[in-house]
Amino acid sequence: MSIRFLNPALPALALVLAPLAGAAAHEIAGNRFFPATLSIDDPGVNDELAVPTISMTKSGDEPSIKQLDFSGEYSRRITEAFAISVGPTWTHLYAPGGPTGTGASGFQNLDTTFKYRFYKDPVHELIMSVGLAVEWGGSGASGVGADKFTTYTPTFYFGKGFGDLPDQIWWARPLALTGTVGYAIPGSARTVTLDPDTGDTAIELHPQFLNWGLSLQYSMPYLKSAVYDFGLPDFANRLIPIVEASFQTPVANFAGTGIRTTGTVNPGLIYVSNYYQIGLEAIIPINRDSGRNVGALAQLHIYLDDLFPTTIGKPIFGGPVAPAKPF
Amino acid sequence: MRYIVISALLLLSPALGVGGARAHAFLDHADPRVGNTVKSPRIVSLWFTQNLENTFSTIEVLDANGARMSVGNALVDTNDRKLLRVPVRVLPAGTYTVKWHVLSVDTHTSDGSFTFHVGP
Repeated sequence: MSIRFLNPALPALALVLAPLAGAAAHEIAGNRFFPATLSIDDPGVNDELAVPTISMTKSGDEPSIKQLDFSGEYSRRITEAFAISVGPTWTHLYAPGGPTGTGASGFQNLDTTFKYRFYKDPVHELIMSVGLAVEWGGSGASGVGADKFTTYTPTFYFGKGFGDLPDQIWWARPLALTGTVGYAIPGSARTVTLDPDTGDTAIELHPQFLNWGLSLQYSMPYLKSAVYDFGLPDFANRLIPIVEASFQTPVANFAGTGIRTTGTVNPGLIYVSNYYQIGLEAIIPINRDSGRNVGALAQLHIYLDDLFPTTIGKPIFGGPVAPAKPF
Repeated sequence: MRYIVISALLLLSPALGVGGARAHAFLDHADPRVGNTVKSPRIVSLWFTQNLENTFSTIEVLDANGARMSVGNALVDTNDRKLLRVPVRVLPAGTYTVKWHVLSVDTHTSDGSFTFHVGP
C-alpha cells in the first residue's frame, strides 16, 4: 500500500468553482450610498434579493473548463443591524469539465451568511460589520465540484466614503472603498480515499484560505446630491463605476499542493434605480491559476426594504429605521 | 424558477405593501444647485424622490461660521409634496452648508448635507 497526495488541480478547481457573487447588501451612512457589490461581500445589512447573478468564466485548469453560474441571494434583517442571507448557485460546466469529461450541471453547496453591523458613522461615512459565512458541505452536487465538507468563514467587512476629503480635492469625494477579510476554515482537514484495486491511499488536503477583496467605486449619485451638480442627464447621475478585486490566499494545510494565491480584478458599472440596481463587470484573472480569458458577471439586485417597507422589507424585530435608497 | 419567484413577488406587491410613494426619500436636486456658485437666493429649495411629511422635515442653511442663515421652518409645498423649501437671509459672498433631514410618507427618515457658494 502506498500513500499519495492528490494533484493540486482538484482543490484549484474547487477554488475556481467558488461562486463569484458575494452576499452583498446596499447601505447608507450619511450622504453615502454604498451599492451592493457584485464580486465581494460588502458591509451592508439589509433586506434584499439578488437574482439572478450570472457569470461566465474559464478555469485555469489544463485543459481549461468553461463555467456558467446562475446564483441568487435572499437577505433578511432579523434586527436593524443583523441579517441572515441564503444563496444558492447553479453551475454548468462545459466539456471537458465534470467527472466524465462531458460536462456537468448542478447546484453548488448552499451558502448562508450571518452578518452584524457593529459600527456606523454617518459623518465620516464609515461602516464596519462582522459575519460568519457557512458553505454547507454535501448540499451541492459533487459533479460540479461541491465539497462534501462544510466550510466556515468568519469575515470582517468595512466601507468608507471619502466625503470628508478637503475642498482642494472635492472631485475625489464621491470615491468610496469597501473591503472584506475572511478566513475560510474547512470542517475537515483532509479527504482520504482508498483504491480497492491497488490498495493505494490518496489524500486530498483541504487548505485554509484567507479570502480578501476590495472595491473602489465612484458614485455619480453622490457627486450630484452632495458635491457638485453638473446638470448631467439622469441616467449618468445613476451610475457608479466600480473596480472590484477578490483574492484567495492559502495560509495553512496546503503544503505540497502547489496552490498559490488566485483572484480576479473586475472593472464594471452599476446602475442604481429607486428600487433595484443592475451591475455588469468583466472578470480578469490575476494569473494562470485564476482562469483563462476575460469572463463576465451581471446581476439584478432588488431593494426589498424600499419595495416592501412595511412587510418583508423591514427587520423582523424593530421598525424600518435605516434609510437605504440613493435617490 | 427564479424568474417565477420575482414575478410572484412583483405581482403580490400590493398585498405586501408596495406603493409608489412608500420608500425612502433622498435628495434629487436643489436650487441653488449642489456645489454651484449663485447670486444670493431668497429661498433654498430641495426636491426629493418621495413625498414628504411636513412634520420633522427640516432644512438648515449655515454660513462658514456655523451661523444659521435660514429663517423659520422649512415647509413642504402643498402642491408638490416632494419639494421642501426654506427662506434665507440675504447671503453675503461665501460658502454655505445646507443640512437636511426629511421624513417620507412611509415614516422612513433620511438626511444629508451639501454646500453652495454665493459669488460677490
